[in-house]
Amino acid sequence: MSSNRTRAARLGRSALDWLEERTSIVSMAEHFLYEPVPSRGRWLYTLGSATLFLITLQFLTGILLLFYYVPTTDHAWDSIYYMMSQVYFGKLIRGIHFWSANALIVVIGLHMMRTFLSGAYKRPREMNWVVGVFLIFIVTFLAFTGYGLRWDQEGFWAWEVGVMIASYTPLIGDWVVTFLLGGDTIGPASLSRLFAIHVWLLPALLAPLIGVHLFLLRKHGEFGSEFEYSERLARLRERRRLEGYAEEEEQ
Amino acid sequence: MAGELQKDPVSRGQFLLLGGLGALVGAVLTIPPAVYLLDPAIDSVLRGRSDVPDVWRPVGSVFEVPGGGVRVYRVEFPQRQTYDGGGELLGEGSITNAVLVSWRDGELPPLLEGRERGPLSPGEIRELSRRLNVLSNHCTHLGCPVRYFPGRNEILCPCHGGIYDINGGYVGGPPPRGLYRYEFEIRRDGGIYVRHEFEGGKPYVV
Amino acid sequence: METRRGPARPVEDGEVITEENVYERPDRPMAFFPGQVVADLTVSAVLLGVVVALSYLVPAPLTEPADLSTTSYVPRPEWFFFFYDQMLMFFPGSLLIPVGGVVIPLLFFLLLLAVPWLDREPGHSLSRRPFAAVVAFLIVLAVVLNMLLTLVRILNFPQS
Repeated sequence: MSSNRTRAARLGRSALDWLEERTSIVSMAEHFLYEPVPSRGRWLYTLGSATLFLITLQFLTGILLLFYYVPTTDHAWDSIYYMMSQVYFGKLIRGIHFWSANALIVVIGLHMMRTFLSGAYKRPREMNWVVGVFLIFIVTFLAFTGYGLRWDQEGFWAWEVGVMIASYTPLIGDWVVTFLLGGDTIGPASLSRLFAIHVWLLPALLAPLIGVHLFLLRKHGEFGSEFEYSERLARLRERRRLEGYAEEEEQ
Repeated sequence: MAGELQKDPVSRGQFLLLGGLGALVGAVLTIPPAVYLLDPAIDSVLRGRSDVPDVWRPVGSVFEVPGGGVRVYRVEFPQRQTYDGGGELLGEGSITNAVLVSWRDGELPPLLEGRERGPLSPGEIRELSRRLNVLSNHCTHLGCPVRYFPGRNEILCPCHGGIYDINGGYVGGPPPRGLYRYEFEIRRDGGIYVRHEFEGGKPYVV
Repeated sequence: METRRGPARPVEDGEVITEENVYERPDRPMAFFPGQVVADLTVSAVLLGVVVALSYLVPAPLTEPADLSTTSYVPRPEWFFFFYDQMLMFFPGSLLIPVGGVVIPLLFFLLLLAVPWLDREPGHSLSRRPFAAVVAFLIVLAVVLNMLLTLVRILNFPQS
């Protein structure tokens, strides 16, 4: 019995060794899992991972919605109605996409507030703040374009008002609005463009930026608020004080 | 894993090849896609073309427009967007607009009072054309659908509170100007016809 | 690359702490796994539960099909654009609409990007950077007040 177990363990270990030699996946996982992180901020730091979780949900349910959604002015609304009323779990999949989009806005807002209030954007984490600001803007545009894809009165008119705001862009307003509408009137091309922007363009921008955001996070560590460093700061002050005494004695 | 970095010198030929090929690849991958995406903007802004062909569409009749009020019609225009190019083969899309029609200052023209339906003389047509308002129902601020409130004798926008008088003139609120006026003509039988053209600007959301 | 195993000690013996490295490592670390992973998973699970419950309790809305020629529909922004929508009320006329609709949001975006270079005070705690705290408070206050104003406007002009 126990010899079976040890044999299985040995087999498992040799399989992992085989993988490790070829992909270094084990040491990467260890490096990832056992990274020291500040223990005091634990619950505040969940805001960032919650954002990542909700965005992953968006990607997942978004892909699922594409299996039924038809991006034409004639059928967009019908296909969503069909999805909601006929498809097993259609209500759930679209509900998750809708509600986690709303939750995402809230959680990202809190995440940003937390970062600002704790001063976590300070040196050397400036670039991560910049990437984060781009991320929040991309997510806002994603939410806005997704609203229009429903092609129901609510989403359509909110999108229409947004397009009209863009038409007031100084100097290039006409170019922006005709680019977004795919013409000088609202029509089938407008929905095609909305679809392309929401489903391909913005996610394609979002995904690599999330990668950069995470890379910089792992590089510099989480947080930066002073209370996390009180012991080290005390040691610094102590050293400065001693240096001050030493200088005075020399004089 | 990470050994010493090896930095070989870049020869003149390599440098020129890198620069030239890089510029070529970059140009092919950016300029055609940009023009491809901006096709509608180039057509509309630079060449002044519209998705809606230049046709007259019937709205209603001058005999139906009441004094002291606004009559709303729906007008369907052909629209060549996405479906355009094949003519007969691909067919045409369409776009439906709401059109607000009223008499100037809400007063029924004297020549229509008590007048039976019947052919109009050129003089009558000229007189009625001066007094008719044919307005787009999209607010000039952000394109929301406006509506007429008989009690106030004003046209209001529900989005940000734009106010227009019954002629579509600007009265108050954030809109930059009065409502867009369709180009229209009145025909002999009293029929009102509009084109998808507007006086003094392009509303886009129509 | 050195592999760090388990929680590191707060301050290593003999480590010289300078202005440069004082913020490099926090006082009392824990390993990412399981401490942080458990906390993250808990919050994610709660969020998933809320989202799943909401998708059945309040199904994702789908109003009437879009109609460009409607004369009775009252367009409304999403709740997270309420403050923006309200801001548009304060910028009337062809000269000011681009300012309120495009220029100010763009400037705000640039301001957000520049935050790390605007606030160069080395301290992290909020009490040591009162200017940043006051500006942040005012921005949040403006956003919340504008949202409330939009709510009042919507209640005054209900969907007929």
